[in-house]
Amino acid sequence: MIERHPTAERLENFGRAKLSRQQNREVVRHLLTGCKRCARSLAAHTPPGMSIAEFGPVPRDYDEMFARAGRAFQRSRAEFSEEQLEAPALLRELEEHPFERQILLVINSRRFWTWPLCCLLLESSHHLGFRDPARALEAARLGVRVSEQLSVEGYGDERVLDLRARAWATLANAQRISSDFRSSDQSFLHAERLLSKGSGDSLERARVLLLKASLWGDLRRFAEATRLLDRVLVIARRYGDDQMVAKAQVKKGIVFGTSGRTEEAIACLREGVRGIDPRSEPRLVVAAHHNLIVYLIDAGSLSEAVRLLEAIRPLYEEMGDRMNLIRLQWLEGKVAQCSGRLSQAERLLLAVGSSLGELGLGYDAALLALDLAGVYARQGCTEKVRELAAEMLPAFQLREVHREALAALIVFHKAAQMDRVTLGLIQELSDYLRQCRENPGARLRDAF
Amino acid sequence: MNYLHQPELQDSLNQLLLASRPRLERVLRHFEIPPEDAEDILQDAQLTLLYKWEQIRSPESWLIGTLKKKCIMYWRKRRSSLCDAVDTAILDLVATPVAPDQEKAELSFDLNRVLGNLSARCRSLLRLRYGLGYGPSEVAEQMGYQLSSIRKVTNRCLAALTRQLVAVGFHREPQND
Repeated sequence: MIERHPTAERLENFGRAKLSRQQNREVVRHLLTGCKRCARSLAAHTPPGMSIAEFGPVPRDYDEMFARAGRAFQRSRAEFSEEQLEAPALLRELEEHPFERQILLVINSRRFWTWPLCCLLLESSHHLGFRDPARALEAARLGVRVSEQLSVEGYGDERVLDLRARAWATLANAQRISSDFRSSDQSFLHAERLLSKGSGDSLERARVLLLKASLWGDLRRFAEATRLLDRVLVIARRYGDDQMVAKAQVKKGIVFGTSGRTEEAIACLREGVRGIDPRSEPRLVVAAHHNLIVYLIDAGSLSEAVRLLEAIRPLYEEMGDRMNLIRLQWLEGKVAQCSGRLSQAERLLLAVGSSLGELGLGYDAALLALDLAGVYARQGCTEKVRELAAEMLPAFQLREVHREALAALIVFHKAAQMDRVTLGLIQELSDYLRQCRENPGARLRDAF
Repeated sequence: MNYLHQPELQDSLNQLLLASRPRLERVLRHFEIPPEDAEDILQDAQLTLLYKWEQIRSPESWLIGTLKKKCIMYWRKRRSSLCDAVDTAILDLVATPVAPDQEKAELSFDLNRVLGNLSARCRSLLRLRYGLGYGPSEVAEQMGYQLSSIRKVTNRCLAALTRQLVAVGFHREPQND
């Protein structure tokens, strides 16, 4: 048995680890004798680095292979294109039902088990994130359900795992926007577990990390957020994804800004806004510019902030949704305040305050009230400061306002009663509230 | 959503595949991928590109990068399967209960000769594994390794052993421990 040489075919199959256990044993036993002839013929079929023998590269002809792969690709493209065409109608059909029924439909009806529908749902969750967090959450949940129903045979198991990871990361992001940080953390963990079993696509990982960095930012884990964003930047640059580079820069800017590193925030945001495509990411362009303007005002670069605000104003108006217009007005108020146009600032901030009150955004209203108090303090209207404090405290005590906001308002109220409100105190309280922020407000929290 | 039935998108996809072909072929040649397996690897990368088309901003870089990664994974998997096959075969051979004494002696002689060309560390580890039938935890304990790292060390030694088996003549592994 030992002296009989295995056939060339058997050696090739051994090199490819395709033999039965018994056949394997026979070949290994033969090789243990040190048979040079078999080792030589085996060398051509073993992985590079496995053979010590040097034969030079084996000539390979890939022409036929490329032709076959090209034909297979065209067939897949045609099939996938059909699914893409059907997806919007499927989404419309789902939207006609209440959420619980939508879940039942995607679980029970095969028609909905398609890749493009899943992508549409995730896209929809992403776009709804800013305007309607509850619906963003529903769309993400449906996306997760669809991703879990996708056929691994049809789409490929690793690719399906990648898409499931993306769906869970989208859900995690929607949970973060809704301030459900615990669930968001759990969903991110699940997304990362799925990714580790997926195709290993670095860009897919970078997308998940980009979203996760926002969670760390919201949880004030700034060092971890920055580390994740640095990893995203490395991957995105390696793959030439300029949009992702820009997004990561903008997020880094927001993280720096939230952690009080204004100069670094401005540098990152300046770099980030240059790279974002306004056609595909108009909301991100607005969010990035908005934060940049706020930090420029904080840093005393008022003229640059004004120039930038004028340049970006049409985009705010184009977006048209109420929150963006309120934010624009707030910015205009701050600019007017810093430029010394105090009556204009008062008028603008009062209008913002009334809109925030209507929307029930107590935390932001508290921040706004402090900005307004700053205007009154500059005007020397101590009476108005007292009135403002007297109106605000009972109103906020009646509502569900964060502990920190209420504490800051009580300090403000007491100082106002004693005519001790100074610009320094207002700034201090305002910084404190911003640090404790858990809801969206003056600085747009990123929802991309 | 960018719909793939749109002629301009179809054109850009076709152009991409055409333009990237020389670079793709260079990657496959560099990694010495056999054409029969290259087809699977390439199709897999192209299909992923198709499904993720909307998410990918720089398709050619992505396709080349993904193909490279898949080629690395291909050989890693093949290397690992080959090492597993060699390990299982040797474990089966040494465990054969009814082998005649002469056969046992020959096997022992051949195995020792191969192991003799490995580093001292691998030689000791594989002697414990094949000669004394030690399991990973016993090997770890005997050689002073953490249980968590013994798998990695064993895999390296199995790779060295497999290299010896397919070497033309027995080369001595570098003695670097």
